[in-house]
Amino acid sequence: MVFSSIPFLFFFLPLFLLLYYAVPYSWKNGVLLLFSLIFYAWGEPVYIFLMLFASAVDYTNGRLMTRFGSTKGRRRFFLCCSVAVNLSVLAFFKYADFLIGTVNGIFHTAITPPGLGLPVGISFFTFQTMSYSIDLYRRKVKAEKNYLTYLTYVSMFPQLVAGPIVRYSTVNQELHSRKIKPSEVTDGFCRFLQGLFKKVLIANQAGALWEEIRLLETGQASAATAWLGAAAFTLQLYFDFSAYSDMAIGMGWMLGFHFPENFRYPLYAVSVTDFWRRWHISLSTWFRDYVYIPLGGSRVSTAKHLRNMFIVWFLTGLWHGAAWNFILWGLYYGVLLALEKYVWGKKLERLPAGIQHGITLLIVVTGFVIFVFDDMGELGRYLCSMAACAGNAWWGGEFLWYLTNFWVVLAAAAVLAFPVYPWIKKKLENAGKGQKTAAGLVTAAGYIMLFVLTTAFLVNDTYNPFLYFRF
Amino acid sequence: MKNEQRLRRLTAGLPAVMILALTIGFFTAPKQDFSENENRYLCRLPSPGREEVASGAFMEELSAYASDHFLFRDFFIGLKTRTEIGLGKKEINGVYIAADDYLIEGYKKAENTERTAGILKGFAEELEGERLRMRLMLVPTAVYVYEDKLPAHVQHRDQMETAETLYKAAGIVSIDCSRALLEQKEGEPLYYRTDHHWTTRGAYEGYRVFCEEMGFAAVPLSAMTAETVTEDFRGTIYSKVGDYSRKGEPITIYTNPEDRLTVSYQDTGRVTDSLYNLDYIQRKDKYSLFLDNLHTLIEITNETADSDRELALIKDSYANSMVPFLVRHYRKIYVFDTRSYKQGPSGFIREHPGITDVLILYNMNTLDSDLGIRGIY
Repeated sequence: MVFSSIPFLFFFLPLFLLLYYAVPYSWKNGVLLLFSLIFYAWGEPVYIFLMLFASAVDYTNGRLMTRFGSTKGRRRFFLCCSVAVNLSVLAFFKYADFLIGTVNGIFHTAITPPGLGLPVGISFFTFQTMSYSIDLYRRKVKAEKNYLTYLTYVSMFPQLVAGPIVRYSTVNQELHSRKIKPSEVTDGFCRFLQGLFKKVLIANQAGALWEEIRLLETGQASAATAWLGAAAFTLQLYFDFSAYSDMAIGMGWMLGFHFPENFRYPLYAVSVTDFWRRWHISLSTWFRDYVYIPLGGSRVSTAKHLRNMFIVWFLTGLWHGAAWNFILWGLYYGVLLALEKYVWGKKLERLPAGIQHGITLLIVVTGFVIFVFDDMGELGRYLCSMAACAGNAWWGGEFLWYLTNFWVVLAAAAVLAFPVYPWIKKKLENAGKGQKTAAGLVTAAGYIMLFVLTTAFLVNDTYNPFLYFRF
Repeated sequence: MKNEQRLRRLTAGLPAVMILALTIGFFTAPKQDFSENENRYLCRLPSPGREEVASGAFMEELSAYASDHFLFRDFFIGLKTRTEIGLGKKEINGVYIAADDYLIEGYKKAENTERTAGILKGFAEELEGERLRMRLMLVPTAVYVYEDKLPAHVQHRDQMETAETLYKAAGIVSIDCSRALLEQKEGEPLYYRTDHHWTTRGAYEGYRVFCEEMGFAAVPLSAMTAETVTEDFRGTIYSKVGDYSRKGEPITIYTNPEDRLTVSYQDTGRVTDSLYNLDYIQRKDKYSLFLDNLHTLIEITNETADSDRELALIKDSYANSMVPFLVRHYRKIYVFDTRSYKQGPSGFIREHPGITDVLILYNMNTLDSDLGIRGIY
């Protein structure tokens, strides 16, 4: 089930919340678990066993590590078991086709790939359970004694599908006792709605523009249009992903949980280093804490530091998908970060802020073009279109046509992608009472109007006229 | 409670109330079986079986059911379209929001031109040596004729370029009515505002050009009886766009008082004396009133025709509104719908030596994806 759908919004969520609030605290985890399992089974009835299996392994490992882990060697053994199981699950379900395809390509073999569908949320829940095992090994958390509580943590539907990656150490206490504050329920619901609007009204529309431009033949799109397409995809990805995080964080507040923030206006970054502090924060900190720092981080020789960066960015790329372009995308950032660190970082800082923002934005947008094409030929052709060397012009009438149809969405996206909203909020803090009330009323009216519109877009998605006399 | 908190509650509360109201409404409101606007049966409540649940099919159907019977579904669908049009969007679902209240379907790049040409050529070759006057007529749609009405900066392809390629490759004598339609574009509507067909007025232009090329004297429109049978036609493009605030439009039909017709539908066996089935006026697909929608083979006899010639007409639905003009000049017209007429009409034509003329008529917009064209050869 996805959050931005009629069944979730109008049936699953209200029913769940009514039950969740009605039962006493001791039952709340049970209700959450039950609905999380239904949520997962809705689209993936069979893979639910995979999640039960993975969480059972980690739970058992945790118990055994506590019970028998008197020596470091034993603890390490249990840790290795847990990590091995998680990575095998991930390798088998996410990377098997890619690995076999690569092997077949290199050795000219003909091994049949399993061709399994990707279980929803597998990249997220395996990373969550690994964080649990590693933190346990490092004695940062205590082992969870109740399997159902542990399963509630792993399967929790608000963040199961698309993050943020919530570590056990973050929600450990709230899993056992939490408070639901009315003010957090309203704020959480507002945050959820913000995410919903971002997903339905902006991400999906920017995606529609990208799909149109992507389908143009090489040479037909002017460079301006190719850049417009790349910008549209960047906006789609950012709004889609951050919208899911917003919805997850908002629902978390409504339930009494506090998940970490995952995005801080990444398109407003001043450097590539800054971008990765703002984009998918829960993933980059995961790699920092569990891979980069254990390898020695930056407090090693330059050669080793570069090796560490290479490993982390290779893995970051690979995490995003089982294809070469994702690896290329990760390494693209690895190289740029190394250059920023060792070559031009200081010079960059001396440039005017506007230019720093601009350069970073160009790097990010170009990066997402690598991200989107898993076919290297297509990628090359598209990059040529952007440089006007694919037999296309710099400028063409079709650019204006796309602008005519999508300028509202693009303008709204541009405003929301940059910290305009916090800026207004800050301005309002010093405003008088009357002005605050007016702003509050406008906000309330805006929310209900956007909600009606979002509902209309969701219903329209299922619009399916039968065009009978088409012959 | 602080003022700020109250406003916050209001902001969250209104959407929450709306969700609850729509959910309760969903369970209490009566369910429709059929959607007029979408012209299809809505999903029924699925029953959970073990297999359906395990495969996820049950959940999918349940989701579809929830969306299909969502309260005020038509209102929400229309709201999205109207908001988009209001915010300046000029293309929805492949349809251009054009001037003068026209909705005009775009023309996509033809992918199957070579195959289509091959089919036409094969058909022509099969009938080589028979003494037939064979003509190919590819009719442009509104996107070509009403180019002036299209929104600014629109990118579209030239239908008649594709048509030229087909004419050349097929090796069949062409009848090009595109110029005649362009000449008349300032006059009465040649295409429906809400449907992908040409109007009877547009079909008349096609007929006039046909007569010129074939050496017939076209009957002037003034000699025919015009009757506006409905003012409330909302066609396929209307459905495609989903802007339910648009007005309906008229359909005018023409009859020649001198004709004495026998229309015999070979598949159903029904025989009438009219080219129209006005029962369709009460339905949504009103264009089907021409020649009673789809039939494998229709045999039309006109006792008072100008000549003893016989025509085999191989066509799509565009021809349905041109036949009422053609009947004047042919004692017999055989109308083939090659989508359901599987035997290939060439055999039929050879077995009927009375047939003197063959006309292949398709519109340019559906030609490329038309399954019927494959039935020709």
